[in-house]
Amino acid sequence: MKTSAVVSDTIGNYPSTSAEDKAAALERVRRAQTGDVDAFEVLYREHSPRIYALCLRLKAGDTSDATELLQDVFIKAWRRLDTFRGDCAFVSWLHRLAVNTMLENARSDQRRTARVLPMEDTSRLAGAARPSGVESMMDMESAIASLPKGARLAFVLHDVEGYQHQEIAEQLSVTVGTVKAQLHRARRLLRERLES
Amino acid sequence: MTHEVIKHLLDDYVTGDLTEEARPPVEEHVVACALCNAEVESLKQILARAAELPKSIDPPADAWTNIRSAIGRDESAMRADSSLSRLGVWQRRYVLAAAGILVAVLSSAGTAVYMNAHYSLARSGGTLGNNSSSEATPATLAAFTLEENNYLRTASMLQDLLDQQEASLAPETIAQLKASLRTIDEAILEARNALVRDPANKLLVEMLSASYRQKVDLLRRTTELTRGT
Repeated sequence: MKTSAVVSDTIGNYPSTSAEDKAAALERVRRAQTGDVDAFEVLYREHSPRIYALCLRLKAGDTSDATELLQDVFIKAWRRLDTFRGDCAFVSWLHRLAVNTMLENARSDQRRTARVLPMEDTSRLAGAARPSGVESMMDMESAIASLPKGARLAFVLHDVEGYQHQEIAEQLSVTVGTVKAQLHRARRLLRERLES
Repeated sequence: MTHEVIKHLLDDYVTGDLTEEARPPVEEHVVACALCNAEVESLKQILARAAELPKSIDPPADAWTNIRSAIGRDESAMRADSSLSRLGVWQRRYVLAAAGILVAVLSSAGTAVYMNAHYSLARSGGTLGNNSSSEATPATLAAFTLEENNYLRTASMLQDLLDQQEASLAPETIAQLKASLRTIDEAILEARNALVRDPANKLLVEMLSASYRQKVDLLRRTTELTRGT
């Protein structure tokens, strides 16, 4: 059984929206494309929590870096709104923009290295929902944050966000084999870290 | 398939990425092999825990404010760009050329002041750092004040041009430019305050003049960079 199927217009195991919702969402995008900042703010309010969760994991739980990335993503989204043609869900477009922006930033900033998630950041990552397994969730977030960058990217995109191997390979400009190897490495490291 | 081969297929087995042909032998092996069975269970746990992670986390409240400000700057830049387009390339070049001339003039004025200071000091036998008691040069300082006004006007025009073109610069360049301008402005302020206390100190005039040249030159070069001229 596949744990993270990707449907045509959305990412991962999120429920696909109804046709009515899709039309309303598209209408908001169209209004934003005409320069309506209020419509863009509605899109931001709607999608920023999901993009921020992605940014936090891509940035190893660093809230400052994640907020900066989130801002970059939405500023770019505003500037490039005219390139969104509605071929995919707006949130999928934002996801791709987030990953691309993170990769672009990483290329121009080689100083950062993989870091272990600080405690306050761990609590932030686990703070969105607080079911009984909060501690377990924090352990998982910390373990993901401590992964080497390549392994973390592959794991977050595939196992958390539900991208396909091929999609990840295209976005990261690597082969599917490399993505699978990074995933294998990520899962092995996570098992070691969570069991220790 | 051997254990060595199968253990490399377990990730795909668990995520459902194995082909229809490859799946049955792997499944059969996993049932029989305790090591592979444990590996599969462990992988399933990792995937289950990944699936439980929150998919949405509220960003900091001020994130939108910053985005909104950036959008506002974009809109201002677009309006300004439109105005600049109407100004025409020759008028834009006039501003840049004027800045270039000013740098040269300031450079000459500063050099003149500096040379006067040396000449005056050589005659009086004083020291360069503390010449307030030496002969004052009001004409030169007055001339410099005129140049200072020219500088302020040109720097202001260049700054306006730059503000309008800021969107075309990389964030790192803008950050570097602002940091450099801050340093130069601090030097200008320091020299200006020192001159108020010691108006005849020609070294301070030279320092102030050099800082002004540096600022105008930096603004001019950055403006040229944004316009690709």
